[in-house]
Amino acid sequence: MDQIVKERDRLLQRTARVYGLSFTIVSFLCLLIPGAVPVTTLAITTPLFALLAVAQFRVGLSRELLWSIIIVGSGIAIVLVLVESAEGPLTQSAYSSITQLSGASIAATAITLTTTTPRVIALIVSFVSTAAVALITTAGDFSAIRTAALLILGWVLPTIIGVWITASVPQAARRIASIGRAHRAERQASELEAQRRQGARLLHDTVLATLTLLAHSGVGVQASALQEQAAEDAKLLRQLRLGATPTPQSSGQYNLEPVEETALGTTLESVKQRFGRMGLEVSWHGTGQVLLPSDVLDAFLLALAECLENVRRHSGVREAHVTITDDETTVRAMITDAGVGFTLDDVDSARLGFKESVVGRLKEVGGHARLFSAPGSGTTVVLEVPR
Amino acid sequence: MTFIPEDRTLDVLVGSKQGAMLGRTPTSRATGPHRASLGTAFIGIGAALVCAIRAIYGFSTFVGQWSMYPNPVPALLAWIVLIVVLVATFITARLVGDHLPNWVFALVLASLAAVVVLDVYAVWELHDIGRTASAALTAVMSLLLVLTLRRPSELLIAAGAAGAGLAIAMVINTTPTEPHIAPQLTALAFAVLPVVIGVALVRGFRRMIQIELDRVLIQSTVSAPRFAVGMLASEELARLDLAAEDLLDSVASGNTPLPLRPKTASVAASLATELRLHLIEGRRETWLYHAVSESEMLGRSVSLDDKGGLAGLLDANQRDGLLAAIWLLVSDTAKPNGSRTVQVVLGPIVPRVGQPFGRLLPVPITISTTSVARNRVDPSTWDALRRVGRYSDSTQNASLRVDIECFVDNPAEL
Repeated sequence: MDQIVKERDRLLQRTARVYGLSFTIVSFLCLLIPGAVPVTTLAITTPLFALLAVAQFRVGLSRELLWSIIIVGSGIAIVLVLVESAEGPLTQSAYSSITQLSGASIAATAITLTTTTPRVIALIVSFVSTAAVALITTAGDFSAIRTAALLILGWVLPTIIGVWITASVPQAARRIASIGRAHRAERQASELEAQRRQGARLLHDTVLATLTLLAHSGVGVQASALQEQAAEDAKLLRQLRLGATPTPQSSGQYNLEPVEETALGTTLESVKQRFGRMGLEVSWHGTGQVLLPSDVLDAFLLALAECLENVRRHSGVREAHVTITDDETTVRAMITDAGVGFTLDDVDSARLGFKESVVGRLKEVGGHARLFSAPGSGTTVVLEVPR
Repeated sequence: MTFIPEDRTLDVLVGSKQGAMLGRTPTSRATGPHRASLGTAFIGIGAALVCAIRAIYGFSTFVGQWSMYPNPVPALLAWIVLIVVLVATFITARLVGDHLPNWVFALVLASLAAVVVLDVYAVWELHDIGRTASAALTAVMSLLLVLTLRRPSELLIAAGAAGAGLAIAMVINTTPTEPHIAPQLTALAFAVLPVVIGVALVRGFRRMIQIELDRVLIQSTVSAPRFAVGMLASEELARLDLAAEDLLDSVASGNTPLPLRPKTASVAASLATELRLHLIEGRRETWLYHAVSESEMLGRSVSLDDKGGLAGLLDANQRDGLLAAIWLLVSDTAKPNGSRTVQVVLGPIVPRVGQPFGRLLPVPITISTTSVARNRVDPSTWDALRRVGRYSDSTQNASLRVDIECFVDNPAEL
């Protein structure tokens, strides 16, 4: 609310500036018409016009009441100079200039003078003094009624603008605040939604793996197997989109039952099947009946699948062995292949595969990974997660 | 996207892809068309009130000079048409809501033009259009009635054309000597300038609403968890998931034959990359990152360096203070597109020798600016900064610099 009030004042000030300056220019133009005023009058009023313009420009930037006072003062001074220095009756041009000044240029400052009581008092004083000077000095030569009507119109309009803008701000602020509340709810909802989607990261990993295969045009994998995998991934994405939270559970693939603890062994089967379809034979050894909290299981399986994907892509062999062991505190998986291996230093650490997918994920659930390899003698990865 | 956070490559990549793939800038969330119309309907009524007062004034001059007309019928006709147009336009404007259909606008313009022609015709013989025209001058100003319903440029062109038409009529009709020029000039100014001022006012008003909306929307980040995915990223994630689903579906159904054509393969590659980036990215951005990147105002001039995600440790009150201070530093400028920039650096946390961290962790926050003079800073900025922590301000390269020592709950102690 406080902020929008500042913005409102700025808006009022800027409006007063463009309003005042434009009519100041017109008023000055009227005096430049040949025969409008004696040259000496023009010489005296020009600096006053400059002062007026500067003050009007400053009003656009500053809330200081001083600038409004300078506007009214310099404006009235110009009117008095025009009248006092006139040779004979006031010319029509001088009269036009005076009405522009007193009825529009000075009046523009009223826009900024409606917001607080001291300002309203300043507004009334400005109006009365300007109108009185303009009326009294021009009444001899021009119709006072017409001048008065013009002055009243000229001061009522900017006052309405000021009052109206001021009145519109609380309304707008209330509606914006309610939009803000709705937005906060929307943010929380979308945050939850994103967490749900990220939470189903196992799913994303199969999606990512399949997308990566497709990125290589699906070369090296049987077309029918890839289609089957794609269908499965698409189905899971659809479930996710429709609001379900797929969690890996029993044999086959995924289903939608969220569970607190999940048996490891049955889930491993699905990983095995998936890699089987892509041409990597995975042999399981050791214990299969370990219960793990589902978030730990997720991370464990993701890391495991990522390792197998690396074997499939880089090892050059079509077989991998996974040994699962567990003790009181830890569940351990050892993934070995008899492939080409590599020098650990050669692994590009910026590559997103191992570091992010394996190490990062395990770390999140308190586990870690170790990598052993040498060129020509295969690769072994040990993954550990707490029970 | 000028906002470049610390993890440059990742965010620039994601940011630019977001923008390119969605065909919009990441900040377009806050610039929906309905947002700008907040409160402008009320401004429209105000403009109508101004028109009405002007019309009463114009009509009284018309009545006052009734006896001067060689033939008052065209002038009377002009007034009748004008009043009908004013009333009809006002009612239509209330009914149509945000935008006046083209044909209605054309009808309004044609009727107003007719009013101008009739009124000028009526006073032609008097050879002083500036002082005798009444309905014509009111008609030009009546464009204010559709001020909030049409584009500013259209209104300015219409007002300019009407002004030019009147000016030509005046040049032909009135002798260009001393007693005559000034009233013509005055009449033109009173007819055309209100439209120009009105356009400027509405533009400023819309901007004010936009800024407030921007501020209120990012305010919701204050209550976000320590790390959040953010509105844009989670929308983007859903979009990527959908795109992946479509692709996988068409592969599964055989619509896309295997092996894939290179173009489809590269779509799959970029989807995989983006998904991977998104799954990593979302978890390490703080509320402040999201506030800056989602805000049009802040995104333009604030850069953020928060490697450790320390902003996430600030409590709601500190966050509110920090956001308000940054906002005030950026927004408090006379020029809408000022050259101010604000750089916010959080951390690093430096352990003090022999003093292990207790329950509270000191997070140093540095706000350095360009083109922000110390004495032009809004006073409420200091109140906001005080809510973040103990601060000291100094001047660096003729611009303000603030160092804050902010104490947060030590996450290791919780």
